Amino acid sequence: MIINHPLLGPRDSEEFVYLGSTDLINRPTNWEEEASAEDFYQYQYIRDNIAGDHQELWYHEQGDQSWLVVSRNTLTHEITKVELAQDVARTMGRGK
Amino acid sequence: MSDYELLPESPLGGVEIELDGFNITEVTDKSLVMVALPREKFKDVESSIDKSCGLQLPEMECSTESKDSSITLWRLQKNQVLAYFTYEGNDAESHLSSRLSAPAYYTDQSDTWAMIRVSGNRSREVLERICPIDLSPEVFSVGSVSRTVMEHIGTIIFRDGDDSYVLLTMRSFGRSMLHAIEVSAENVL
Repeated sequence: MIINHPLLGPRDSEEFVYLGSTDLINRPTNWEEEASAEDFYQYQYIRDNIAGDHQELWYHEQGDQSWLVVSRNTLTHEITKVELAQDVARTMGRGK
Repeated sequence: MSDYELLPESPLGGVEIELDGFNITEVTDKSLVMVALPREKFKDVESSIDKSCGLQLPEMECSTESKDSSITLWRLQKNQVLAYFTYEGNDAESHLSSRLSAPAYYTDQSDTWAMIRVSGNRSREVLERICPIDLSPEVFSVGSVSRTVMEHIGTIIFRDGDDSYVLLTMRSFGRSMLHAIEVSAENVL
C-alpha cells in the first residue's frame, strides 16, 4: 500500500505505524466533571467497525515522524485523501 | 592506578571495499548535529544562519550548503534540521552552535550513526534494489535527502554527487546495512 504523504510524496506503508480512527483526536475535555467517566469510556473503548470509507491516524515513524489523517476504504484499501493530522486537529479547534 | 588509554573507533572501523568500480566507504570525517527550531524563532534562526554562514533553511527533503561548503543542512522534519559537516573533534555540538550562532537547540548525534558512502557509476542500480523510494535522477536530484527503510533498517539517504550516496543507519545497525549493500552489489554487478 502506498500512502501519498502531503509533504514527502508517495511512501510505502511499511514506513508507517497505524493507530486507529481519527475519533481519537477528540479526547474529552471534561475530565473534571462527573459525566466524564461515560465520555472517556466511549472515547477509549467504543469503536465503529466501518466497512467503507474510514478516517484513520497513521504515524510516519520511519520518516519525518508526522501524524497523518488517511481516508481509506476498508473494503478496497483505496486511499482517497491524506492530510497532516496537525492541520485536521486545528480545523477541529484543537492544538496550537 | 592502571594507565588506560581509550582510542576512538568509528562504527565500522573505517571500512573500504571496492567491487569492480563500485565503492563502499565509511564516512569518518563528518559530524552530525540535530538543530531543533523553536516555533516562535523560525525567522531569527533563518536570518542568523544566513548572516553567520550564508546558509538557508532547506525545503523538506532537500539540503543547503554553507558558503564555504563545510556545513550541509538536511530538512527531514518540519521543525528541525540535521547538520552534516566536516569536523572530527569531540565537541561537535558547541563547534556547530558557535558557527551558526542561531537561537536553536543543538544535539550531537555524530556517534549514534554509522555513515556509509556508496559510489561508482552503478551505485544507483545497487541501491534501487534495497531502497523503497524513487532514486531516479530527475526525482532524487543531487542534494536530495530522505529518511526511509531499507532491509527493515531505518536509513537516511543523501545524494552527495552524481553517482554518490551517503547512507546513515543507527550505529548498531551499521554492520547489517553494510551486509545489505554488499549482497545487493553482488547481485547486480
